[in-house]
Amino acid sequence: MITVSGLTKRYGDRTVVDDVSFTLEPGTVTGFLGPNGAGKTTTMRMMTGLVPPSAGSATVDGRPYGELPNPGAVVGTLLDASAVHPGRTGRTHLRLLATAIGVPAERADEVLAQVGLTDAARRRVGGYSLGMRQRLGIAGALLADPPVLMFDEPVNGLDPEGIRWMRDLLRGHAARGGTVLLSSHLLGEVEHTVDRLLVIGGGRIVADGSVASLLGADGAVVRAADASALGAALEAAGFHVEPGDDGALVVPGARPADIGAVAAAGGHVLLDLRPVQRGLEDLFFQLTTPEGTLS
Amino acid sequence: MTTTLTSSAPSLGSSVEARRTGPSLPTLVGLEMRKSLSHRSGRAFAASAALLGPAGMALAATDAEFGWVAGPIGIVGSMTGLVLLALGVVSTAGEWTHRTVQTTFLLVPQRGRVLAAKSVAVAVLGAAFAAVSAGLSLAVIAAVGVADLNWDGTGQALVTAVGAGAAFAVIGAGVGAATANTPAALTSLYLLIMGVLPLVRAWNLELAQWLDPAEATMVLAQGDAEARSIAVLAGWVVVATVAGWVLTHSRPVD
Repeated sequence: MITVSGLTKRYGDRTVVDDVSFTLEPGTVTGFLGPNGAGKTTTMRMMTGLVPPSAGSATVDGRPYGELPNPGAVVGTLLDASAVHPGRTGRTHLRLLATAIGVPAERADEVLAQVGLTDAARRRVGGYSLGMRQRLGIAGALLADPPVLMFDEPVNGLDPEGIRWMRDLLRGHAARGGTVLLSSHLLGEVEHTVDRLLVIGGGRIVADGSVASLLGADGAVVRAADASALGAALEAAGFHVEPGDDGALVVPGARPADIGAVAAAGGHVLLDLRPVQRGLEDLFFQLTTPEGTLS
Repeated sequence: MTTTLTSSAPSLGSSVEARRTGPSLPTLVGLEMRKSLSHRSGRAFAASAALLGPAGMALAATDAEFGWVAGPIGIVGSMTGLVLLALGVVSTAGEWTHRTVQTTFLLVPQRGRVLAAKSVAVAVLGAAFAAVSAGLSLAVIAAVGVADLNWDGTGQALVTAVGAGAAFAVIGAGVGAATANTPAALTSLYLLIMGVLPLVRAWNLELAQWLDPAEATMVLAQGDAEARSIAVLAGWVVVATVAGWVLTHSRPVD
């Protein structure tokens, strides 16, 4: 289990991470979300001892990262995919890491196959694309098949196939009892991967909960063969109806089931019926905009 | 790039046997030696260190006669040492320049251990390449020197060349660790040794003799001013290593 308690980082009078606390449980994928500059990377660097905190602490299984006997065997970390010597081949890079972690050298070839880089293994990393470097960084994190994976913006540069593969990898890791922390500035990249969202803004955790609870339905959108008749029926049933795009009706506060019931009772033909999802951007503005400034 | 993607093994860590403890110091030293020679720039510095001396002797032989072995071996030791500075610098500053220091400290968070391993690794490599350089240079001198070559002090000259190789590499590693920037470390070291110290020499010979590691190597190889020369080289090693140690520990990895 990873416990972060009151983690704070100040540079002069600027506070970039402000009293951040959370715990990460085995068997879960946690998305660490926030815009660029929100403090995600600094938090992860403090968690791994690369940057000393101004206050607070972070522990992995009760110990600070730096006191783990062999941290690479416990936490697989990808913080910066470009942090590889461009003159080394991908295979050489991983074999060096394998020695440091204390796993057999053959693991380098196994993880290269796992991330789909076997054909590029003997090419210098300087010639790799960003997506290939991300895969190489993930390969390095997987060398010891560690119980904890911590990836900072791993989806950058990955193609759609790579994003799906990453989702399967991380979901599979959590299903095997692993703990995963995955940062991103784009909800769309991770919303189908994570169980839980930690939203950070301005260095502070502004929301912490399941994806469903934070981004749950906030009304429904319906399109009907006779929109005006259905609109009248919904108004009669006590719902507030707003016009949407392309003849659709937006019904704030209603569940799709409520609308379906009204439509069935009145014999209305429906063409489309779905919940309105709040986007991360909406949530983010709602959480970080001081009350009273919202129009 | 292949498009075959597979997912992880069934249970965590079951298929992988990882060491439970951190790497031992000998393992880390071996790892750092492999890292230094795992890219073209490292191999180029190594080849230059091994071959520049003998090549220089062969060139010099076209214009001069060698009568005494220890003198030219001292010059070779000094030249090779200057090249080995770069090998040391790249082993530490190169990690910051390429940001690989992040992975290094993630896997071995004890920065002092990493720095100690790097210093030992470049010392071993420096001594080895300096030995190759001195040995090949000796062969060149023996081949092109005068018939009744003076071999007096050859042993001390060779030991000095090898020891200086190790010392210069460690000095480079210390300065590299202190600056965390390869171009800055190389520029400041070469500017100081090859630009500033000759000016100091013109102004105050005795002071320059107490500061110049290249000259200390030459005179030590020739059996002169032994205590002062050893003190000068040791002083550089200590100051560079302490500076590297202190600054590496206080620097965040951003």
